[in-house]
Amino acid sequence: MTAYKFLTADGLGLFSRFPWPLPHGGPGAWVDSEVEPCRAGIHACRARDLPYWAAPELYEIELDGPIDELELKIVAPRGRLLRRVDAWDASAVDDYGRMCIARAAELVAAAPSVLGDWAPTGVPPPESARLGYIVARMAEELGGVAAHLEERRRQSAWLVERLSLA
Amino acid sequence: MPESHRPNGHGFTCQEVVAIASEYLEGAMAPEQMTAFEVHLNFCDGCLRFIDQMRETTALAHSLSDDEIPAELKSELLAVFRDLRRE
Repeated sequence: MTAYKFLTADGLGLFSRFPWPLPHGGPGAWVDSEVEPCRAGIHACRARDLPYWAAPELYEIELDGPIDELELKIVAPRGRLLRRVDAWDASAVDDYGRMCIARAAELVAAAPSVLGDWAPTGVPPPESARLGYIVARMAEELGGVAAHLEERRRQSAWLVERLSLA
Repeated sequence: MPESHRPNGHGFTCQEVVAIASEYLEGAMAPEQMTAFEVHLNFCDGCLRFIDQMRETTALAHSLSDDEIPAELKSELLAVFRDLRRE
C-alpha cells in the first residue's frame, strides 16, 4: 500500500526523530518495526489525513504487512520511502497558507460578530499545520465539530489537487 | 488525565499537553489520545519544544548513576521531591 509521510527538513520522523533512509534515485531502505499503534510501528497517513500532519518534507511511503487503519493515521510493521513529493515545495506551502488565510477571511465575513477577533492580517507564515488548524477551529466556532471536520476535508482536497496526489 | 471528548483532529490545548506530557513520554497514553496529542505538537512549536526538552532532560537524568550525584545535592533533591508530594 502506498501512503504519505511527512518528515522534518532534516529527514527525521516528526515525533520519533527517527532518521529515515531517504530515496536517492530509487526507494529508500526498508525499515522494520514492531507494531503498537502510536508507540511503535511505521506510521503514515492517507491523503485525507495530510493537513493534520503537514510538515516541511513530504514523501510517498510504501507499507508492507498488516496495516492498522486508525483515525488520522495508518500503522504498518514495515515501510520504505518511495519518493519525495517534490510538488510540496516552498511555493505550495505558500499557496496553502494563502488558501487558509482566504478561507479564514471568508469565515470572518460570514459571521463577523462571532469571528471578528479572528480576522487574518498580513502575509501567512509558512506554518501549514498551524494555519490549517486555526481555520478548522474558526469553522468550529460557527458550526461545531462537524464544521471542523468538514474544513479539514476541504484542506485535504486542496492538497490532493495541488500536489497531484492519487 | 483529561478526557478528550473531541475528535482527534481537534487536538488538546497547550495546558492539557503540559499536564499529560509525562504520560506521553512514558508511553502510558491511550492510542487515540496520543494521536490528538501529536496533532497538537505538530502545529504548536512551543509544546513541541517543551516535549523535546523533557525528553532530553529525561535521557540525561537516566544517564547519571547514583555515584555521580553529590550526597548533599541528592538529599536536597529528595527533600524537594518529598515537599512536592505534600503540596
